[in-house]
Amino acid sequence: MIAFVSGGARSGKSGVAETLVGDWQAARGGERHYLATARAGDDEMVARIARHRRERGEGWVTLEPPLAFAEALAALPPGGTVLLDCLTLWASRVMFEAGLAEDEGRAMLAGGLDEARRRGLALVVVSNDLNEDLPPRDPLVWRYLAFLQALHRDLAAEADRVIEVVAGRAIDWKGEER
Amino acid sequence: MQLFIGGARAGKRDLVAARFPDAAWHRLDEAGLEGRKARRTPHVPLVLTGWTGWLAHSLAAEPDDDRLRAGLAAALEALVEAERGSDAEVVLILPEMGRGIVPMDPADRRLRDLAGWLAQDAAARAEAVWYVRHGLARRL
Repeated sequence: MIAFVSGGARSGKSGVAETLVGDWQAARGGERHYLATARAGDDEMVARIARHRRERGEGWVTLEPPLAFAEALAALPPGGTVLLDCLTLWASRVMFEAGLAEDEGRAMLAGGLDEARRRGLALVVVSNDLNEDLPPRDPLVWRYLAFLQALHRDLAAEADRVIEVVAGRAIDWKGEER
Repeated sequence: MQLFIGGARAGKRDLVAARFPDAAWHRLDEAGLEGRKARRTPHVPLVLTGWTGWLAHSLAAEPDDDRLRAGLAAALEALVEAERGSDAEVVLILPEMGRGIVPMDPADRRLRDLAGWLAQDAAARAEAVWYVRHGLARRL
């Protein structure tokens, strides 16, 4: 089972995703894993990571996976529920740290989704909606946005549930539970 | 008339191409709707894209926003009229660009305003409005 949760800055998307992970874990059993994409580069990031960790609460096994996060999933016991938060940051590291091309990044994400399916893991991926602003003029920013949107389209196509978050409320776009 | 609206690279074109496989596509850019009639083929849906380019070009030529909006609304009205006389759908693909920080550049602010007004005026005349997000569409 794969879910894609996205929204604007501080829209409450992590909270919605964590609730979904809790629901899935309650229904399926198994462990709860958190795949951290952030690396503490400055004091603001240290505080941000601490806040997210505090808000997630107890009961999470936190992993700092390599960019090819399929490798981390392959080492997890089957049946667990996994939260990847967030794809926006992962995408920027893929493009700017690793210097990978768009196709390579898309293949890496697809590999992670495949691995989750293969191992019977439930995976919830969180990302930011950044594409409803004026189109960026800076070619590098545009390239990043195009890459991120390609990932979002791939993920939305593959996911069983696609959820938009506004003010902490979930709007179902695909596979809603009624 | 049908309207598909969504952000940059939201997957609007792919969705429209899948739903209207036989459509003729026309990019407005600077020329706008000029010359479009010559291309109109009976029974063939017409997809109109490239509105951002046309808006940017139009706002450079017309300093008054109200006149500009009225001109765009008249162009939409003409499209609806032309569609009534034919048996083929007109499909508009419009950009959503109004959900960011207020731009520093006055021309960017005007562009964003005009895009929003155009979307409202198009939606008011459309039979169906689709909001496209990450390759998925929701009817508004």
